[in-house]
Amino acid sequence: MTETPKPKVWGRWVVLAAVVLGLFIFTGFFGIGLSLKPVQPHVVLPAEPLFSIGSFQVTNTLTALALADLLIILIAVGVTSGVKKGSLILGGIIGAIEWIIEMLHGMTEGTAGKWTKQIFPWFVTIFLIVLIANWTEMLPGVETVGILHQSEEGHYQVESWGPVSSIVLPEEGAHAEETHAAGYEFFAFLRPVSTDINFTLALAIVAVIMIQYFGIKSQGGRYFGKFWNTGTVFSKPIFGVIDFAVGLLEVVSEISKIISFAFRLFGNIFAGSVLLFVIGSLVPVFAQSIFYLLEFFVGAIQAFVFGLLAMTFMAQATQGHGGEHHEEAHA
Amino acid sequence: MDANAAKLIGAGLAMIGAIGAGAGIGIVASGAVQAMGRNPDATGTIQTNMILGIAFAEAVAIYCLVVALLILFVF
Repeated sequence: MTETPKPKVWGRWVVLAAVVLGLFIFTGFFGIGLSLKPVQPHVVLPAEPLFSIGSFQVTNTLTALALADLLIILIAVGVTSGVKKGSLILGGIIGAIEWIIEMLHGMTEGTAGKWTKQIFPWFVTIFLIVLIANWTEMLPGVETVGILHQSEEGHYQVESWGPVSSIVLPEEGAHAEETHAAGYEFFAFLRPVSTDINFTLALAIVAVIMIQYFGIKSQGGRYFGKFWNTGTVFSKPIFGVIDFAVGLLEVVSEISKIISFAFRLFGNIFAGSVLLFVIGSLVPVFAQSIFYLLEFFVGAIQAFVFGLLAMTFMAQATQGHGGEHHEEAHA
Repeated sequence: MDANAAKLIGAGLAMIGAIGAGAGIGIVASGAVQAMGRNPDATGTIQTNMILGIAFAEAVAIYCLVVALLILFVF
């Protein structure tokens, strides 16, 4: 009757030590902490410029996009080399990618039919870029490591220890004007690219243009009959006029597609990053991890929804309307 | 009234629109779950359409959120 000894798990002690250390440092829990209190973040909506090449400003969302692109290229290279090895069972990240691609392909086949081959690459491209871009939010150091600039509009107080500086709470009792004059602005090196409205808007415009492209490619000139519907104006006077008005509404619907694509992704991810900031400033230790899980989920869902909607609209455009009008929601 | 206070109240009021999206998503999910219960074989298609419906319903809440964020951080 010899019990097999359990393998010792050190991971949980490391985590526990980190939590206790965090309590000491950030809250002065037992009165012996460094009392580095977290600071209420100052949220900035537009992306902050880091440096400029000529007249082209490189913002911190652009560097994050470059990081996301790099990650995607690395994954692509890894998956290609893994597939070329020719093992039947693909493991690790290659298996995960295979699962994703298979699932998305099945979904596209169910919706787009014979246009699967043309539409599928757009679906997966949009899905992967948005997914990786959203998940860069979760990397340590993103949005927290950056440059401090002294400026008039600065909102932060800064304390330095040798080469490293950190943002601290303003001194109590200091006059508001004084702290204002000595304020610092904070520019993070990396900020998830989905929190930049330019990225989501660009992606939305590309998607909507490709929807029109697939419509024209599949139906030719008849595709424009959806927008300029004069076919029944004279044969059925009243309903013909209604048909014509509905056709004009279709134009509005295409434009609103751009807006809803762009703001859905931007709103979700930006609100998520603000949520992480605020929770981090309220409860500095431990609480944020729960919201990281939520953001992980939201990032995946939003990437999936963006790709799925683009795919569905493309498939709809190829099918034509053949007299009956799509009563799809215009959101 | 203080302009800052008005901003905060406005942002809070803007988020009232999230009520509708919440109710809508609840209805979508309840319908989808019922459909899956009746016909488990169709789970895949139902799920896809459910996510589409949720995305449309959620868009309204996201507009509210964007308006609230704009009020808070831009104006």
